[in-house]
Amino acid sequence: MLLKSVEHIFWLGRYLERLDDTARLINATSHLLIDSHQDTQFGWPILLEVLGQDSKAILGTAAAAVEGEQGKLSVADTEKAVMAYLINAADSPVSILYTSSALKYNARTIRPLIPRDMWEELNALDLFLQQNCSMAVSRQQRYQLMSEVSRRCQMVVGVLDGTMLRSEAFDLFNIGRHVERADMTTRIMDVMVLQQLQPTQIKRPKFRWTSILNALGGVESYQHYVAHQAADVDAIDYLLTYADFPRSIAYCLNRAGASARGLPHSVSILQQVYQLQSLLQHQALSELSTEQLHSLIDHIQAGIISLHQAILAPCQASCQAPLAAQTQQKSA
Amino acid sequence: MTAPIHTSSFSGYPFTDGCYDELVAATGQPRLPAAAIARFIDKHGRAELLARQVLLNQTISAMGVCFTLYSEGQNIDRGWPLDVMPRTIPLSEWRKTSAGLTQRLQALNLFIDDLYHEQKVLKDGIVPADLVLDSRNFLAPCRGVSPPFGVWAHICGTDLVRDESGRFLVLEDNLRVPSGVSYMLENRTVMKRVFPELFADSTIVPVDDYPHQLWKMLASLSPRPGDVPCMVLLTPGIYNSAYFEHSFLAQQMGIELAENTDLTVEDDGVYLRTLHGRKKVDVIYRRVDDIFLDPTVFRPDSVLGVPGLFNAWAKGQVAIANAPGSGVADDKVIYAYVPKIIEYYLGEKPLIDNVPTFLCSDEKERGYVLANLDQLVVKPANESGGYGILIGPRSTQVERDDMAAAIIANPRNFIAQPTLALSTAPTLCDGELEPRHLDLRPFILQGQDLYCSTGGLSRVALRKGSLVVNSSQGGGSKDTWIINDEV
Repeated sequence: MLLKSVEHIFWLGRYLERLDDTARLINATSHLLIDSHQDTQFGWPILLEVLGQDSKAILGTAAAAVEGEQGKLSVADTEKAVMAYLINAADSPVSILYTSSALKYNARTIRPLIPRDMWEELNALDLFLQQNCSMAVSRQQRYQLMSEVSRRCQMVVGVLDGTMLRSEAFDLFNIGRHVERADMTTRIMDVMVLQQLQPTQIKRPKFRWTSILNALGGVESYQHYVAHQAADVDAIDYLLTYADFPRSIAYCLNRAGASARGLPHSVSILQQVYQLQSLLQHQALSELSTEQLHSLIDHIQAGIISLHQAILAPCQASCQAPLAAQTQQKSA
Repeated sequence: MTAPIHTSSFSGYPFTDGCYDELVAATGQPRLPAAAIARFIDKHGRAELLARQVLLNQTISAMGVCFTLYSEGQNIDRGWPLDVMPRTIPLSEWRKTSAGLTQRLQALNLFIDDLYHEQKVLKDGIVPADLVLDSRNFLAPCRGVSPPFGVWAHICGTDLVRDESGRFLVLEDNLRVPSGVSYMLENRTVMKRVFPELFADSTIVPVDDYPHQLWKMLASLSPRPGDVPCMVLLTPGIYNSAYFEHSFLAQQMGIELAENTDLTVEDDGVYLRTLHGRKKVDVIYRRVDDIFLDPTVFRPDSVLGVPGLFNAWAKGQVAIANAPGSGVADDKVIYAYVPKIIEYYLGEKPLIDNVPTFLCSDEKERGYVLANLDQLVVKPANESGGYGILIGPRSTQVERDDMAAAIIANPRNFIAQPTLALSTAPTLCDGELEPRHLDLRPFILQGQDLYCSTGGLSRVALRKGSLVVNSSQGGGSKDTWIINDEV
């Protein structure tokens, strides 16, 4: 495999997973709304913050666009602005539409590595999103749309699993998916923590956000997990450490590590994986304060960034930035 | 030759006067190879044909078959235009045509090899020396280089047209980086999904052998015969208009798709940067023009090239298809001499004729061209993609005046041909079957062996009366069915 392709196939896995996870995050927060008491309000800006976006700036721009409101957005307008930013805003680097374009760009670059059936699924996914994400949607439609995004992402993965050559490209794709998933799971936990309370020194309460777990497809296995643990556990323990659940951090690290074994630079990748695993193993999670929990999540996210860098290290070392071939020639 | 069936499928078909129709005989009955599609229309009606066109368009967008246009500095992907009506050719006729095409390529390769060595053809006065030596396609650094089998142009896309009698003529030879074969292959894949019932009786000869034949031809060029060759397709990158084809062919052949930054040259060896370190390359199927290949030999400002690549090739360390310098024979002025070139090297009459051609470099012919600009098609010698062409009968006085000035300023750069009555084929336009002009680009391979594709890419001018078939200028395509009439 070309050295250059390492980056593209890895990002293909990340973007595909990001699409699925963003859709799930959107649905998870919609569920939170349904669960919330009427006198508590969901903090929409948190959603932007956990995705690393500047919520003040984004909502400020949105407020400026709403006339006669004196720069103050209603809750409904805030929801609309946040959702537009996550779903179809052209200038948003975290939107579903942007992610889909990035997915397609990477797929196009490494087209020879992708089986035809998967290419067609990816293509259908992008067409679907271009057609359906541009319209403003009600909460109910949004739920349907996001469920369809997740479903189609799963179809791409399924087709790939059934047709792709077991090669380094396949390994890198899977590493990309699991690194992204681990990253997103930490972000979803952050929403839970930040939504519940501002970080304090007080020992944290139990998190039982079954609606979020539902959006992650994990509510049943969560019940199974709680029923079979001797200790008093909650959703945080579950999402961080329960290695049998395919969206837990522990599971994602196991999978990324397993897929990395055949790569020439597996040693440096596995080193990063072990460091992350030890972070999880040496914490008495239920004893942490919300502030400590928040800081643990930060550490995990930093570890994921190092892992990402270790995976792409061979490209960074010797790849020149591919020159955009602006001097095009006409072909006969 | 018409089918022994009577159908109303083409009743009321509005023939274009003076043009040969590929599918419909003058009687209004289908020609023999078109019998199956005619029966289909009879049985299911025009409405079903329309429904299949809708299905076909959906299939193309689902498959992601596209081409890229440049517009105001932007690259726009467009869905590949394919007409639901196939273009049919009997196998018996195709055998003769493909023999003519391979004959032509063999002669052209002998010609190129001669030009870069002894230049007997110039000394014997068959082709005027100044036409070759002054051509910017004659690359002096290639002199004395001997590529495997003496073959320079390994992949040739020859454009064929039919005249009013239905006879195939060669319109031009594309010997540099001919494109379109991926669409020939994808058109067939699409049509099989859209008309499964028509492919069931298996008289349509398959086309899917091409990628394997291309692979075999490229492998035969390897400087390490006997070992598994390391082969790459060199593309200018994902923004090139033919990128779809580059990635498609690399995938179909199972070879790497590389850009210049993926290759390095050390001690005249070409190496690929892989995840496992560098790997020596044996064969490069390049889709980058000659002058961009190596900035140390050709254009120093090329950002698409690989420094040192030319020397690696000249020393036989790596094979390049098509070899640098092959373009010298696809100049439209040289084209006029190809019939003589065939006779000179092979001692045979050309099996397929040229379109009559006037050379503006010849004083007498130039006079005729300038006096008859409104009747002729004038082409620049070195453009491709249908750019810079004047179609006399459709031109304005201003366009003709501009062209006359350009010819007088640089006569060597222009040729002229009579405006051809290009053949037509029924094409679905706004729900009706109407005649549209078309050409055919078969793909011919030469390495150790010779091969000609089964049919080729049929390109059709979708605008009524138009003769311009290029997809960048409103052209579409048709699946080309070679129908086995020998069973």
